[in-house]
Amino acid sequence: MDKAQETVKRDPSLMVFDEKTPLWVKIRYKYLTTYFLGKVVWVIFRLVLLIGISFVILFPYISKISGSFMSREDFVDVSVLLIPKHPTLDTYRAIINDNHYWESLFNTTTLSVLCGVVQMMICSIVGYGFAKFNFKFKKILFLCVIFTMIIPHQSIQMAMFMKFRYFDIWGIYGAIAKLFGSTAGTPAIASLLNTYWPLGILSFCGLAFKNGLFIFIMRQYYKGVPDELEEAAYVDGAGVFKTFVRIILPMSVPMMVTIFMFAFSWQWTDQFYSGLFFKDVTKIRLLTNIVSIPKSLDTEYAAKTVYETAIRNTCGLLILLPLIIVYLFAQRTLIEGVERSGITG
Amino acid sequence: MDNVKKFEIEPQAVPKKKRKNASLDKKKARYGWFFVAPFLIGFFLIYLPMIFESIQFSFMDTSTIPGGGLARAWVGLDNYRYAFLENADFTRTLISSIKNLLFNIPAIVIFSLFMAVLLNQKMKGRALFRAIFFIPVIVSTGIIESIDLQNTLASTQATMSNFSDSTMQSSATAGQQIISLLDVQRFFSGMKVGQELVSYVLRIVNGVYEIVNKSGVQMLIFLAGLQSISPAIYESCKMEGASAWETFWKITFPMISPMILVNAIYTVIDSFTSQSNQVMKFIDGIYSQSKGMVRATAMSWVYFLVVIVILAIVAGLISAYVFYQRRD
Repeated sequence: MDKAQETVKRDPSLMVFDEKTPLWVKIRYKYLTTYFLGKVVWVIFRLVLLIGISFVILFPYISKISGSFMSREDFVDVSVLLIPKHPTLDTYRAIINDNHYWESLFNTTTLSVLCGVVQMMICSIVGYGFAKFNFKFKKILFLCVIFTMIIPHQSIQMAMFMKFRYFDIWGIYGAIAKLFGSTAGTPAIASLLNTYWPLGILSFCGLAFKNGLFIFIMRQYYKGVPDELEEAAYVDGAGVFKTFVRIILPMSVPMMVTIFMFAFSWQWTDQFYSGLFFKDVTKIRLLTNIVSIPKSLDTEYAAKTVYETAIRNTCGLLILLPLIIVYLFAQRTLIEGVERSGITG
Repeated sequence: MDNVKKFEIEPQAVPKKKRKNASLDKKKARYGWFFVAPFLIGFFLIYLPMIFESIQFSFMDTSTIPGGGLARAWVGLDNYRYAFLENADFTRTLISSIKNLLFNIPAIVIFSLFMAVLLNQKMKGRALFRAIFFIPVIVSTGIIESIDLQNTLASTQATMSNFSDSTMQSSATAGQQIISLLDVQRFFSGMKVGQELVSYVLRIVNGVYEIVNKSGVQMLIFLAGLQSISPAIYESCKMEGASAWETFWKITFPMISPMILVNAIYTVIDSFTSQSNQVMKFIDGIYSQSKGMVRATAMSWVYFLVVIVILAIVAGLISAYVFYQRRD
């Protein structure tokens, strides 16, 4: 038996019919085979599995959403599971009014867009530098990138706080200030706490949360870009920077959207840095600060824990809502970008 | 005369060109420095001093001066002694967290590989499923985790209440609702497999929510890897009559094995540095106590060393089995 026949035996749907074959023969060959049956079973199994896991992912949000619309009576009502009997928007209203929602939304949006855009640009630039140029110490420097990825930020939590509380570079300013008779215990240029500067500086240097990973991803992506493309641009008279801006950057938009999405959303829900750098809530209020029980809601009754849980979840939903909207717009590009990244060992 | 001169010059043009090439390389190298400059500046002006200071802090005792500033006193290994000898919980938390991690790495890697293979197949609604599967990457970090944590804390405090098993409280543990332990146990007792495997699978099934949440980025990395396998290989496999099962083990698995290494390393780093990690939470708790800042710093350096050792072991183990396709 030759190979073509063997393949047909495995997958009879590949059988070639001519016009004279009767319909029932066609159907028999197509559907009444173990191959087709196996395929159907696999498709069903796959569907069940995917739907099941999607359910696992989505269920917490579904239950949170339904809880956020429940009124006080629904929490004591045993017959209420997911669909509230007395739907109300009171929880939302109370949180938005009492917890300074709009103000924190504005601040968080500013901060996250700033961090997202800066990190996206810086990581692509640095990644391009590591991917396409040969210079001395390149390998050692790239190890440094990996190094920043591995060190848990908790290790340098205190040092980071001190750095930006008494901002100074290599202690140079402090030394000069002491020469001129400064009496402060730790002389410094300025305290950068409660401003956007610390995160701005960290993003600008590619040191913010998981930026090592971003640089790594961008480097892998640019390594997959053929050199001939740039050479063609050089021949046509474009310089290195022009080539980068005009040819390379437009090409890597999907990857950059991916990086932006990661940076943006991780900054959006971040607690570590917000807690470290924005201690004074009255100066800059971020979305992470709005999780509290609003005063206008009376929670002192039987189902207190459940009710407060639902309120906290509603805070979480209000934080996530803008993020989800952005995700819905960006998700296709995001997944495409990752697919094209060609991250290979 | 002019012509003669030109002819004399021409042979020199060749070495001149060569020199020009060399300088182009040098020029490019200089541009390279330009491109990595932001990182270099940040790394040497901000990051390294921070690391240096942090290591210093771990050997120090600090206190704030009322006028503003920080008084430092050298105390040697005191903070480390505290971490290992005086604090009863640190080593225990560390060890249990490492155990947890060693359990989680294979689960997360296998699960994300499996899901990536599924999501890579052509089917209806693939875009929708993908969008759903990547929600955890975007959403379940930071604040949401901490809200869930607050809620579980609140509900454990109120377990006396009659309403503790009502709707809302169970949102964080949705995985446990779906499949009951007994079902799985019954399912597995029919098969003749070892008890360890059964309990392992049980743990996976119970922690399915956690594992799904943690394997988002890994899934993305695997998907990227799957896309980079040439379709020609699959085509020739089909021509040779390999079944889907054979194709997976003979083609997909070896080709994706570098990705497995990357993902295992990423999983280790991710779960070690994530906020939900037990040790991280423990260190955060220490941080806010009196004298806690320096102690927390010392502890996290110990922790960092442990991470490095584990990374080295995992990378060494897996890279022994990784298959690299030779490329021209």
